[in-house]
Amino acid sequence: MFPRFIQVVQHLKNLERSILLSLFGHPPKELALAVSVNQQPKPTPKAFSIHDLIGDGFLLAVPKFRRTVEKRLNRKFGWPEYVWKPFVPKTNLKTCHECGHHHEQGRLCGNCYKKIGKETKEIQGEILKKLGSGPIEQDVIVLYEGETLPDQQKEFWKGKRIVEMKKERPQWFSKNLLQKSTQQPSKSTDVKPTDLA
Amino acid sequence: MNQAEVSKLVSKLRMNIKPEHRRLKNLKGPEGRIDKLRKTVTGLIKFERIELNINRGDEARQYAERLISEAIRHGDCHKPTMDMANFWLLEKQLVHKLFKVLVPRFENSTVSYTKMIKAPKAQNTEHTNKIVLELRGNPYPDLIVKQPNNRLWIQNVLLDAAKYDYRQSKISEIAANIGKDTQLSSSSLTANNKGGTQKEES
Repeated sequence: MFPRFIQVVQHLKNLERSILLSLFGHPPKELALAVSVNQQPKPTPKAFSIHDLIGDGFLLAVPKFRRTVEKRLNRKFGWPEYVWKPFVPKTNLKTCHECGHHHEQGRLCGNCYKKIGKETKEIQGEILKKLGSGPIEQDVIVLYEGETLPDQQKEFWKGKRIVEMKKERPQWFSKNLLQKSTQQPSKSTDVKPTDLA
Repeated sequence: MNQAEVSKLVSKLRMNIKPEHRRLKNLKGPEGRIDKLRKTVTGLIKFERIELNINRGDEARQYAERLISEAIRHGDCHKPTMDMANFWLLEKQLVHKLFKVLVPRFENSTVSYTKMIKAPKAQNTEHTNKIVLELRGNPYPDLIVKQPNNRLWIQNVLLDAAKYDYRQSKISEIAANIGKDTQLSSSSLTANNKGGTQKEES
């Protein structure tokens, strides 16, 4: 701030001087002091050229004034309320119950999602292949290799299309998902024999 | 008294809707925005689970919910609903799916027809806030497991190890005692019997 102020004052002074000189010219020579000086032949002044200074080199743009410490630090680290440049530790990380990887709170676990997404894409591909381009009129049930239709009420299977995957069911993809919502409440009083084998 | 129930006249979506729609920056303006949303709704009905940026996903979700709810309310013999389905579903095979698959699936539903779940933050991309949009009742593996497998928790791992050690030590103890004289056991049995009789007497 201060160097810039001094520079402005200097400019104003120069301006004032040049204006006064142009208006009134130099004071008359009669008012000058009479001093006897040994007159020596003056060397004729050469016209100034920038090439005398730099020769073959070139000039770079350079800072005119010094930056203050505060400015320099702000540029380096930012300001906490606006843009804070250094890394900040995250406090919203959780451990996934399924696989133990870390994930952000309120978001899916990256590891589990990758696994599920891959399986989802495979199933989607199979379904698209099976359905083709005709009108889609049936809901889809996905069965894996070696699986048979679980014994359900016949109404449940009516009007459903079965899509078979050419691999075994992944261990983490529970089979019970199919049975949960559709299981009929049993009315029979028979008790199934257990521990036969 | 002769008034119809208001809740049956108005179809209310079972999801939160923002007071103002998102503009979804597009060169064509509102028309381009609707085009984008039509593509997304079509994709959602077709694949039943898609990954999107949050703005587009949430916006398309509202239209998909509305479409399904209209289809459930009016059925396929209602001209305006059919026109709506024809407009929003770019692949016409999906119009069949909407009325013949999704309507029976969601007829008696008491919750929203779609689910929106935040995906893990994408790295090295411009848009990091991704979501997974899915229809309920899809055949894919669940994204959120309600009863998590807690066998991998450190407490349970340690407890399992402790249980195993305890059982091993017990088994080795029993094995060491098998060959020993039976007198000890018989005497202890008689002692127990005596104790039992005393209790009965008292």
